[in-house]
Amino acid sequence: MKTPAIRALALALACLPFAAAADTVTVVTSFPKEITTAYKKAYEAKYPQDKVEILNKNTAAGIAYVREQAAGARPEVFWASAPDAFEVLSGSKLLAKIGPGNPAIPAKVGNYPVNDPEGYYRGQALAGYGLMWNTRYVKANNLPEPKEWADLVKPVYFGHLAISSPSRSGTTHLTVETILQGEGWTKGWEQLLAICGNSAAITERSFGVPDGVNNGQFGIGLVIDFFGLAAKNSGMPVEFVYPSVTAIVPANIALIDGAKAKDAGMRFIEFTLSEEGQMLLLDPKISRLPVLPSVYAKAPAGYPNPFGGQIQAKVNFDSNLSESRYYVVVSLFDQQVTFRHKELVAAMKAIYDAQKRLGGRKSAQLDEARSLVLTPVVDEKQAADPKLLALFKAKKTDAEASKAKAKVEEEWAAKAKANYARAVELANSAK
Amino acid sequence: MNPVGVDIRHVALSFGATQVLKDISVSVEPGEFFALLGPSGSGKSTLLRLIAGFNQHQAGEVLIGGRDVTGTPPWKRDVGMVFQNYALWPHMTVEQNVAFGLEERRLPRAQVREKVAAALDLVGLAGYGARRPGQLSGGQQQRVAIARTLAIEPQVLLLDEPLSNLDAKLRVQTRQELVKLQRRLGITTIFVTHDQIEALTTCHRVAVMDDGVIQQVGTPMELFDFPVNRFVAQFVGSVNLFAGRFEREGGALRFASEKLGRVALPAGVEPPAGEFDLAFRPHAVSVVDAAGPEALSLRGAVENAEFLGEFLRYEIRVGEGLVIADIPHARGRAPIEPGTAISLAVPASELRFVAA
Amino acid sequence: MRTHPGIVAIALAIAAFLVAFLVIPVVAVVYTAFSDGQGGFTLAHFAAFNEISLMRESFANSLYVAGMTVGLGTLIAVPLAYLTVRFQFRGAILVQTLGVLPLVMPAFVGAAAMQLLFGRSGSVNLILKDAFGVTLPLMEGLNGVIFVETLHYFPFILLNLSAALANIDSSMEEAAQNLGASGWRLFRKVVFPLAMPGYVAGASLVFIKVFDDLGTPLVLNVTNMLAPQAYLRVTSIGLEDPIGYVICVILVAFSIGAMGGSWWFVKRRDYALVSRGGVQAPKRRLTPWQALLAYGWIVGMLLLVLSPHLGILLLSISKVWSFTVLPEQLTLAHYATVFTESKQMIWNTFLYCGLAALLDVALGTAIAYIVLRTKLPGRQLLDHLVTIALAMPGLVLGIGYLRTFKGVELPFGGGALTASWVIFVLAYAVRRLPYALRSCMAALTQVHPALEEAAENLGAGRWNTIRRVVIPLMMGGILAGFVTSFITAAAEISETILLTSRESMAPMSYGIYLYFQSVLGRGPGAALGVIAVALVAFGTYVSHRLVAARSPHQSGGGQ
Repeated sequence: MKTPAIRALALALACLPFAAAADTVTVVTSFPKEITTAYKKAYEAKYPQDKVEILNKNTAAGIAYVREQAAGARPEVFWASAPDAFEVLSGSKLLAKIGPGNPAIPAKVGNYPVNDPEGYYRGQALAGYGLMWNTRYVKANNLPEPKEWADLVKPVYFGHLAISSPSRSGTTHLTVETILQGEGWTKGWEQLLAICGNSAAITERSFGVPDGVNNGQFGIGLVIDFFGLAAKNSGMPVEFVYPSVTAIVPANIALIDGAKAKDAGMRFIEFTLSEEGQMLLLDPKISRLPVLPSVYAKAPAGYPNPFGGQIQAKVNFDSNLSESRYYVVVSLFDQQVTFRHKELVAAMKAIYDAQKRLGGRKSAQLDEARSLVLTPVVDEKQAADPKLLALFKAKKTDAEASKAKAKVEEEWAAKAKANYARAVELANSAK
Repeated sequence: MNPVGVDIRHVALSFGATQVLKDISVSVEPGEFFALLGPSGSGKSTLLRLIAGFNQHQAGEVLIGGRDVTGTPPWKRDVGMVFQNYALWPHMTVEQNVAFGLEERRLPRAQVREKVAAALDLVGLAGYGARRPGQLSGGQQQRVAIARTLAIEPQVLLLDEPLSNLDAKLRVQTRQELVKLQRRLGITTIFVTHDQIEALTTCHRVAVMDDGVIQQVGTPMELFDFPVNRFVAQFVGSVNLFAGRFEREGGALRFASEKLGRVALPAGVEPPAGEFDLAFRPHAVSVVDAAGPEALSLRGAVENAEFLGEFLRYEIRVGEGLVIADIPHARGRAPIEPGTAISLAVPASELRFVAA
Repeated sequence: MRTHPGIVAIALAIAAFLVAFLVIPVVAVVYTAFSDGQGGFTLAHFAAFNEISLMRESFANSLYVAGMTVGLGTLIAVPLAYLTVRFQFRGAILVQTLGVLPLVMPAFVGAAAMQLLFGRSGSVNLILKDAFGVTLPLMEGLNGVIFVETLHYFPFILLNLSAALANIDSSMEEAAQNLGASGWRLFRKVVFPLAMPGYVAGASLVFIKVFDDLGTPLVLNVTNMLAPQAYLRVTSIGLEDPIGYVICVILVAFSIGAMGGSWWFVKRRDYALVSRGGVQAPKRRLTPWQALLAYGWIVGMLLLVLSPHLGILLLSISKVWSFTVLPEQLTLAHYATVFTESKQMIWNTFLYCGLAALLDVALGTAIAYIVLRTKLPGRQLLDHLVTIALAMPGLVLGIGYLRTFKGVELPFGGGALTASWVIFVLAYAVRRLPYALRSCMAALTQVHPALEEAAENLGAGRWNTIRRVVIPLMMGGILAGFVTSFITAAAEISETILLTSRESMAPMSYGIYLYFQSVLGRGPGAALGVIAVALVAFGTYVSHRLVAARSPHQSGGGQ
């Protein structure tokens, strides 16, 4: 009686994806399917004895995941856009020191080092940040084509923008940091808050922005360059532009310390930095910027070239600064923007309505309203306060610290909410 | 209350292609306790529901109190119906159930309460108002259903097989209570049943139905003593029924029957012409040594004997046929052994000739 | 009769399985929410939860969305149910189709298509803007979630309501009419109260499912609800984040509360006693005007309910669909992509769901037999334990598994349990078990004990009787239970998102979610979605046929 069932079960077990005798390279990455599938196929074709296993996680989840694995059982490769993620990992002693790789890769792009000076990770591709818009949407709504971040604060864009949250998206965090470093803390936040006030949504993952722009849900989105370029090259009715306040920052790849298959991991990393591996980045579905300059000769005409100076990267990105205040920036954005988005948008609307009503006349109340909305509730000095920064870096299970952090965040949230409400009042009563 | 009559005139009713009532005409007198008796499928329930308004007839008229109610919806007809399964609402108490119809008539609350109490009192369930139907026995539920209908003092009371869900003992008791209630209130009542004993013991008149047609209408005794056709003869009481033909041979009258053979008919009996059934009740048969000239004489052998307490039921083989005779039982008298040859006599007055 | 020791062993084994894979993970989650990290009890995390305005907002939003879904679903369902049950209505078959359609497509898959049809720049709004200059914010924020969930779940309420209405003996209504009630009064005083228990059972289940749903809010990019918040916190902040566990406890508490409340409500009003077989009244006719309205309403609803299906179909064959009413440039390339790239995922789905369903019917049959045919003390506990699984949100079980089995290694060098495919089978099996058990119980109740007694009388021992008589007679129900387990597991996304770490382990549902995150459009995701829907629809059809084919063979003669 039991035999047919057991036989069936054994047969099923036999067909399983068990780890074979060959090496498996486990890659933790936030990159989309297009790029991971291409690399997996190419690498496995070149090294048939290895298998590539992709663990798709957004950057924060990826870091948390690596942390939770025991040494000796960890995945091999960490591959992501955000450089601060790598700082966090190397700070936690989770990366192996591998030094620089392919010598044909330059040490710097602009003023920014391509590889980690301490040798824990390497740049694998370059990315800039920019604006992506849906041509039909923009035409249908009579919006002027944007060129700079600063353009997006104009009232004409109200309700037509989209941006993701830095807490959910490493690339958005980089964009935010770029703006903050480029314009300074206060002016940067002013711009950011205005852009967010003009946004229709704060999306959960960074892809939510290009996805929305793609299908016409949003008009203009703040995206990492390859999102925009890949979509455009695949025939979607979109355009992409690099504003001048942008940074070219490498997407990095690193070997995780305590990985199971170290050698296979290194093989994979070297492959991604080889000419063959770098060529894959030119695929229109991927549209990333290689770090290997020789590849650009084989790129199609008009392909953005960071080494040729076509992209003006005005900002010298300071990744140490970015890493040190990561949690504060991220949390501040969430408390003041992401979770209060409805109130922020309402405040912006009230201000625009008042402006229209006043017809260009100056008004003290309106100015006050504007400053209430566009000022960060944490100023530059507080953001650099080491005590505050330490509070955010405390362990999660520390109930006391967790409570204190929640209290601080709640204060910010309350202040922001109050500011927005007051701004609405002022704007509505402005004369 | 002024009792009203119910008139059904040439009513025909079909469900799709099936004709359930075929040209029904019957009148129920005001204050009468009237039964619709028949086997299942005869159309009696359909006719009852027609009077209540839950069916639509395609031809004919239905008059209640002289008014044609064709097209009047059930909630405006003012006839009270007691359903076979009582249809008490489980989410309401007994009091709320009984009060329902009164509330629909927008009576003031005090009056409603009074009437509810009176109705419950009438059926012997005073004080049961707060209970729920689920807490009552079958018999009690039925009384609540009756009380609910009587509370609105309808012009006509319709009862759909009210006794069929009760156990035997309760059936007899309830039957008698229903009769008393009806006599006391004097309300026109139409009672549907498949049980002839129920119909015969309670009602003034009975309509026997079969296959959508009314076979005969009459008092219980009329139906029993003078059935007009084979169906009524067999349905009401037990009967000996033999098909055959009348023959005149010289001065003697004979009945030529396939089953009985040729039997001499007693003098003075005038049968109709053509094909007919000879019918006589089992209790009219006596065991004799020799039959007189005023009786039908039959000779046969006892095949089976059943002791039923008050009488013995014999099955006697006469010719090819079987005659049932119910002989009263006297204390100590032994039954006739199967196989014994006996003579039977049926008085001429007990012979009936019925159409097929 | 002393219970066979073999049966006792099996019962204990089943109990152990349920404890290990249902009770302990949930208890682990609840424990963490109340633990202060050093083994002590604390309410600090709950207090912290309450402090965070986002959490309070998410809580309120989840309640709001679930409540609105039930409310709107009821509004849509009530006239439809009354129509089909009380009137001669040839559209009845249409209404039955309505009932089946949403079940074959997971809500989160349809949500993507709904975005394109009803979103800010979706087909409907583009037309409206051109024609009337207005747009409907159907898919904005919470509205989107409510819209998608209502269309997905209202047929569930409809079916429950129809069944409840149909079960009311017509004599109940006729008695009321006879006493003078009609129309609205009749509905309010008699029909609705009698239909309530059936309705409440269905509505409470819908409330729980919407309250716990993770996939739909994620696809629609709504994060200020409880389930997405728990997921986001646990994945990005880490398994240690206590707030995530607090949310889980709230989800579990509400689910159990809703289930328990509805059970209590139904029990109190056990109206089964009344049907004693009255004559069922023929259905009423509709006036031409009423018929027009009725058909119009039904066709309208049908179109709405079909919109996600149509949308997904269109999306799967469109090359570019952006800011236009209909997609341009149709292509079959997405199907090609999916077939070449996702064979592993399709295989995974068959493997996980197949094994899970097999496990479910084996357990279901065993539990049904133990509960209905033995006198083992405490056997009802097994039944209750399984019923609790119904109230467990997939999210909570997923987190519980990750936490409880962290570091647990599979035997024979299979690696970590949480990183292996085995965990999918376990998670799916545990949460689908209630459905399989219900099928098996129903099948077993139809097998008259006399059939088994006859076998024993002729010399068959207990095991042989089960093998040769009971199971073959239950086969229809067992197969139906297998198919139900399979297709609900195939459509499952909440546990799946949490448990999938590597792409090669991913089943189809996760694959669809992954494909939806491609910048180049959701075409391939839609193609995979269409395949999944076809699979589920086929399975549903097979399941119905199996039950219908087998039922005449069930009873051994006596009724």
